[in-house]
Amino acid sequence: MKRSYVIKRIVYAVFIFFVVLTLNFFIPRIGVQDPAERYYPPQGGMSTIEYEIIKQFTREQYGFDVSTFQQYVRYLQGLLRLDLGTSLRSGSPKVTTLIAQRLPWTLVLSVSTLVISLVIGLLCGTLAAWKRGRWQDTLLLNASTISVALPSFFIALMLSFYLGFRLELFPAYTNPNMVAQFDWGWGAIRMVFTNAALPIMSMSLGGIIGYSQITRNSVIAVTNEDYVITARAKGLPQATVLYKHVLRNALLPLATSIGMNIGGLIGGAIIIEQVFNWQGMGTLFLEANSTKDYPLMMGIMLFLSAFAILANLVTELLYVILDPRVTVGDKR
Amino acid sequence: MADTVLEVRNLKVAFPCSGGVIRAVEGIDLDIHRGECAALVGESGCGKSVSALAIMKLLNTPPAVCRADKLQLDDLDLTHLPDRQMERIRGKHMAMIFQDAMTALNPVMTVGKQIDEIYLRHSRLSRREARQRTIKALELVGVPEARSRANSYPHQLSGGMRQRVLIALAFACVPKLIIADEPTTALDVTIQAQVLDVLKNMQQVHGVSALLIAHDLSVVANMADTVYVMYSGKIVERAAMQELFVEPLHPYTHGLLASVPRISDDRQPFVQIPDAVPHPMRKPTGCYFHPRCPRSSDQCQQRMPRLESLDHEREVRCWHPLRQPHEVRS
Ligand SMILES: Nc1ncnc2c1ncn2[C@@H]1O[C@H](COP(=O)(O)OP(=O)(O)OP(=O)(O)O)[C@@H](O)[C@H]1O
Ligand code: SF4
Ligand SMILES: [Mg+2]
Repeated sequence: MKRSYVIKRIVYAVFIFFVVLTLNFFIPRIGVQDPAERYYPPQGGMSTIEYEIIKQFTREQYGFDVSTFQQYVRYLQGLLRLDLGTSLRSGSPKVTTLIAQRLPWTLVLSVSTLVISLVIGLLCGTLAAWKRGRWQDTLLLNASTISVALPSFFIALMLSFYLGFRLELFPAYTNPNMVAQFDWGWGAIRMVFTNAALPIMSMSLGGIIGYSQITRNSVIAVTNEDYVITARAKGLPQATVLYKHVLRNALLPLATSIGMNIGGLIGGAIIIEQVFNWQGMGTLFLEANSTKDYPLMMGIMLFLSAFAILANLVTELLYVILDPRVTVGDKR
Repeated sequence: MADTVLEVRNLKVAFPCSGGVIRAVEGIDLDIHRGECAALVGESGCGKSVSALAIMKLLNTPPAVCRADKLQLDDLDLTHLPDRQMERIRGKHMAMIFQDAMTALNPVMTVGKQIDEIYLRHSRLSRREARQRTIKALELVGVPEARSRANSYPHQLSGGMRQRVLIALAFACVPKLIIADEPTTALDVTIQAQVLDVLKNMQQVHGVSALLIAHDLSVVANMADTVYVMYSGKIVERAAMQELFVEPLHPYTHGLLASVPRISDDRQPFVQIPDAVPHPMRKPTGCYFHPRCPRSSDQCQQRMPRLESLDHEREVRCWHPLRQPHEVRS
């Protein structure tokens, strides 16, 4: 039954999310050091009593004054109110506020990267499969060999240097002061062709080649299936066979890999964002890391995990529409 | 002959691959008359499917290399027909039924849609009309509740039903020729008989010529008029079904017949032809069958015999057939 499959997937996703948030809570607490001491190391010229008062005050402020279990309950209660806690930076901003501020910037990069790599990857992969063994195919093979050897930050640096500084085609970095004023709508679209162009290019390259490879291999595998011969035996023209019988089946493995990539896409932006001084989630995470801002780090981690789990769930549910066989049970 | 629906002359198929060339089909001739059912019989790997695909011009070239002196379907000369025009003939004038209906049907498309496609391609019908034809076609091959079954996906049907769908698909445009490549090997024995009945019935009702491919004679016994016995890429014997059963002439055919278990005949034990088919890249010299043949002589090991006619309608490729050409039967 379709519905039982859908329910099963959703329950499973919720379960995984629960496991993740629990780990996310407990792992940072494995450290034996008193967090208050970590934030305020003992300084000279302060009496023991004064220091104890400060530590106690700090514990209360950050919620370490109760048992770990109580902290866990509080953490869960906070989550229910969509509250990820308070950052340690000055002004004590809410973690959710910080994430909300940076998220659109990362979304611009990752959504356009996904769309661009999918569209180009599909076209190139199908072409390579169609022209199997000819130069188009060989080109793809060589390109993927090279791209495996080139890390994405290297590509980012090269693009930034040549297209950004030398040719001045696109801005090579972004002014950090722009963060607060994200403009949904035309502003975001214009950004794709200006400030975001180089980061998107650097991030897309690997995706284009990855999706091309998957598409190529899966199209070739499907081309040899019996039902494709049946379709040709019916007298259908080549293009119809490719479009109606080959691609529809060849896209199934692609759907799975998209689901797995979406989660990584936001995380993968960390390095690229650094290269272009892009004020997204990646940069936020690195900032949190260098200032030992644990609530912020935990918040970002949890958010990214939730995003990845959600992306996987969506692809799994998409499968129900794409592949009628899924309804029989868990066939994969 | 005006009454010949399929005429194949000297059909050859080779697959060049690393380490040599696989000569899968080495110059076969076939003649199938109107309304006739011919059978192509031989062990696994002897080149039956490749021949069928070559006749349909469905082999991918490359890798395959196909040659034929003549390939004629009724009044259509297909010998040098370009691919674009073959597309108009496949499905309409010649159709094929594949071995395994599970893999031969697209898993993500309803069976109805897959049959609709062939009507939409070859006749000017609207989608509605095409679907009506599809339902009729499914009813003809004995699919119950055809209207709702048409909306099922292949995996939702039983093996027998799927094979019926393939038969409906092949007969959709009432072609001149149907090639059925081991249409029942993927099925249970009881279902096999039912599906063969449907096939035979459809073939006779529509007066369609058929080429039925099988690896043993028991499957074709009730259906075929003429039998071509194939061994390692070559035709080794051709005869009318009745005559072949009464008196096989080629030692290989004899072995094939002896390996068919017969209920009435318990005098002879179940006979198996020893050893296996030669590897297609390392075929023996002389007669390909000599390493396994009980009658083989020195001559057999050196020279390949020709396909000689005996009587009027029989041919055999053997130096020492079970009956010599000059022996006249009463
Ligand atoms: N695409 C291919 N590339 C290389 N060799 C091939 C290819 N297709 C078939 N062959 C070879 O051609 C020979 C004949 O194969 P074919 O499929 O026609 O056998 P068959 O008589 O149909 O056997 P079966 O009863 O198993 O279906 C085999 O030896 C096979 O290895
Ligand atoms: S030619 Fe010789 S080896 Fe070949 S089948 Fe006849 S008797 Fe046997
Ligand atoms: Mg076969």
